Amino acid sequence: MMASVQFNSVYKRFGDVLAVDGLSLDIADGEFMVLVGPSGSGKTTALRMLAGLESISDGNVTIDAEVVNDLATGKRNIAMVFQDYALYPQMTVYQNLAFGLRRRKTPKSEIEGRVRSAAESLGLEPYLDRKPGQLSGGQAQRVALGRALVRDPQVFLMDEPLSNLDAKLRVRTRGEIKRLQQEIGTTTVYVTHDQVEAMTMGDRIAIMNNGILEQVGTPADVYEHPANTFVGGFIGSPPMSIFEAATAADLEVTRFSAAGVEFVVPGLPDLPASVIVGVRPESVRSWDENSGNLVGPLSGEVAYVEALGRETFVGVDSGVGQIVVHYDGRSALIPGDKVEFGLDPKGLRFFDVADGKSLAAGRLDSQ
Amino acid sequence: MTSKGEQSITYLILGVFSLIALLPIVGIIFTAVQAPGSTVGFGHFDGIHLGNFARAWEQGNFGSYLKSSFIVVIAVVSVASVLSLMAGYAFGVMKFRGADLLFYILLLGLMVPMEAIIVPLYYDMRDFALTDTYWALILPQIGTSVAFGTFWMRAFFRSVPRSLVEASRIDGASSWTTLWRVLLPLARPAVLTMCVLLFMWTWNEFLLALVMVSDEGLRTAPLGLSFFQGRNQSDLALLATGAVIVAAPVVILFVFLQRHFIRGMVTGAVKG
Repeated sequence: MMASVQFNSVYKRFGDVLAVDGLSLDIADGEFMVLVGPSGSGKTTALRMLAGLESISDGNVTIDAEVVNDLATGKRNIAMVFQDYALYPQMTVYQNLAFGLRRRKTPKSEIEGRVRSAAESLGLEPYLDRKPGQLSGGQAQRVALGRALVRDPQVFLMDEPLSNLDAKLRVRTRGEIKRLQQEIGTTTVYVTHDQVEAMTMGDRIAIMNNGILEQVGTPADVYEHPANTFVGGFIGSPPMSIFEAATAADLEVTRFSAAGVEFVVPGLPDLPASVIVGVRPESVRSWDENSGNLVGPLSGEVAYVEALGRETFVGVDSGVGQIVVHYDGRSALIPGDKVEFGLDPKGLRFFDVADGKSLAAGRLDSQ
Repeated sequence: MTSKGEQSITYLILGVFSLIALLPIVGIIFTAVQAPGSTVGFGHFDGIHLGNFARAWEQGNFGSYLKSSFIVVIAVVSVASVLSLMAGYAFGVMKFRGADLLFYILLLGLMVPMEAIIVPLYYDMRDFALTDTYWALILPQIGTSVAFGTFWMRAFFRSVPRSLVEASRIDGASSWTTLWRVLLPLARPAVLTMCVLLFMWTWNEFLLALVMVSDEGLRTAPLGLSFFQGRNQSDLALLATGAVIVAAPVVILFVFLQRHFIRGMVTGAVKG
């Protein structure tokens, strides 16, 4: 059973606080949509409105083209996985899985079959007679998933379901949820504050901030072409480095100058006199190696070194602000070292100085 | 980790206070089993003479008093518990207009002592022709018990993770089903503790029984005990026996439910 979901100019007010500010979002049938954003961005509130756990102040929410604003939670054909799992502690795993089916008057024989098959697909069969208190965090998490799965709802809602797991289990469960969703193809709305989860799981990602939807797109899209500086800073780890620069067109090149540093980029994008330049760490490399297509050099003092083994990110305090530089493998740099680095012009993104919005016309890689 | 010295001091202080609490009780029990006509005085032990209980039971009409007490207590505790559970659920889990105001009004029932309302209450009961009936004892005590019980259960329901209630709603359960199937099993320690407290307070209620009933057959145990003591001031052993008989049901109930009671008292203090 599947369905599309739509938010049409949805608002949510808590007293004077506007938690969700005119959210419009179409989620396609069978899509895995991730709502991501920092705390207080309104992502969970949006999910709860879809679940019917919060009323909608204005606008409407539809499931399968039916407006559900005034439809009671229990009448919406949805299932939800909570951050704390919310398993019924006095019931066994079997009873937890069966509870929703019993409430919906499913025939007993069918309940048995559906619980067994959900338990099988999640590897929960050995634990069916246990109570939630006797399960590990990972097992409890799978029971919570199973409780949603067994209902075969139109939409799955997941509210930070992995945040109580340890890092290793989180990565494994991430893959498992994604696999399950692809197998059964149920429309899923997944809320997280973790941009890595968003990038790895979502068919599309909706980035929210202060109740406003900042951008919707595929993971690659929002990573490569952030709609504004907020998205650039939020998506990606380490985030996009950002600095302000003055521009001047000069024959076949554009000159950028910021804080006494000047660099020249080939091409003549249509840019205002002053822009915010954003650049991903992988487009910033040391000046001495393969600097053929790099522009620069810029220089500065190493502020921190983040060695991940396969690669190293180095934060450099340059004249224009702190820029993250990418090194392959390990780097011998230590804080205080002086380094020179260059920027890959294809990786440069330009944003409006006033509102931080992307100057899409100025994309160098589209030329 | 507490050191050995600290531990000894803790035990010492706890021991002293336990003695202070226990000594009068032991005294009453020793006195209750003294030989009839003994002159050794309060709290002395001179053997176990259970004949006092038979004597007190007959002379003091305790059979009738206990029966009245049980009728009142069972009616009050069962009705008040169910009402408190439902009202506490509404205040603790549901959002509705005027919830705070209503709750504060309800709290008045906790704060105003029986002494303050007993006179107008008497006239009201008389107008309804309910004085000298069990209703005059049961109805007002249901009222005061529900005030406490709602306060108590609301605190419990507020401590339950919201997501549990929400998960139940998403699973398609009504408020009614959520209360009885999902939350009540968790609330058992809190409910039992409430029942013990209500039982104790209702059992010990004296003033209401004194004012509302004059029929000997309707007198509750504490009231009967006071009349019994008035008649037998010289026989110390008999007085003590009467006191033990009246106190016994609460003590027995407490002993049986002690484990749950303690668990109920600490939930909310420590997140389970």
